[in-house]
Amino acid sequence: MTAPDARDGAAAPTSIHVDEFLGHPPAAVWRALTEPGLLARWLMPNDFAPVVGHEFTFRAVPLPDAGFDGVVRCQVLAVEPVHLLRIGWRGGSLDTTVTWRLVPEGRGTRLLLDHEGFDPGDEVQRRALRGLGGGWRGQLLTRLGELLDALAA
Amino acid sequence: MPRTPAPARPDVFAALANPTRRDLLQALLERGPQPAQSLAERFDMARPSVSEHLRVLREAGLVEERRAGRQRIYRLEAEPLREVADWLAPYERFWRTRLAGLRDLLDSGAADLPPGAGS
Repeated sequence: MTAPDARDGAAAPTSIHVDEFLGHPPAAVWRALTEPGLLARWLMPNDFAPVVGHEFTFRAVPLPDAGFDGVVRCQVLAVEPVHLLRIGWRGGSLDTTVTWRLVPEGRGTRLLLDHEGFDPGDEVQRRALRGLGGGWRGQLLTRLGELLDALAA
Repeated sequence: MPRTPAPARPDVFAALANPTRRDLLQALLERGPQPAQSLAERFDMARPSVSEHLRVLREAGLVEERRAGRQRIYRLEAEPLREVADWLAPYERFWRTRLAGLRDLLDSGAADLPPGAGS
């Protein structure tokens, strides 16, 4: 079987998928995701509200070299209490979405995170990654940027 | 032993920037090792043009060439692709770290429902 985007996926994936089992019921996980005070304790300071259309920010550490001022500009895109939360996630040149899904599992919850919409062709995003990741991958991505720029010229 | 992991050959990205070369890699991935001639037929391209693309892919370490009699057989080398596929690893690390923080928060009881709330 070949996914529709398998070809692009092989060359440069554009999303991240992480899942984590948490030994707590979905209602507790949902609180930690949707109450600003709790959300701030594990993610970032914010003015979140679980209302579709609500615009809010997360305050992160700025990465000036990557053109990131430390503000993640978000908008609530979907809220299905105790099941699903999706937000638009923009910072620097990043224009992505983050979706959390909560699936009951035994006495706990499997939390599925999809962070989608990364653009491997975007040089600023690659610099942001260098800030986050450092090391050889960063150098690799910088080189990618130079090459793609050269090819586009 | 080198102290740092060997970087991918930089021309991997240039090689991948071309859609025809991505198609060639895809064909080698799906159909296994093949001679240049059958790739040329499959893509309805002139043989020299396919050979040129294969040369770029070979220099980037993305395909390996083997002689079999008068033919040259090309085989996909997946390792450089794997390195490129890792470009989002820093974000994945970011989220894994944060989710570990979420677990600690939940374990602390901070998000427990008040007695009598919920079902």
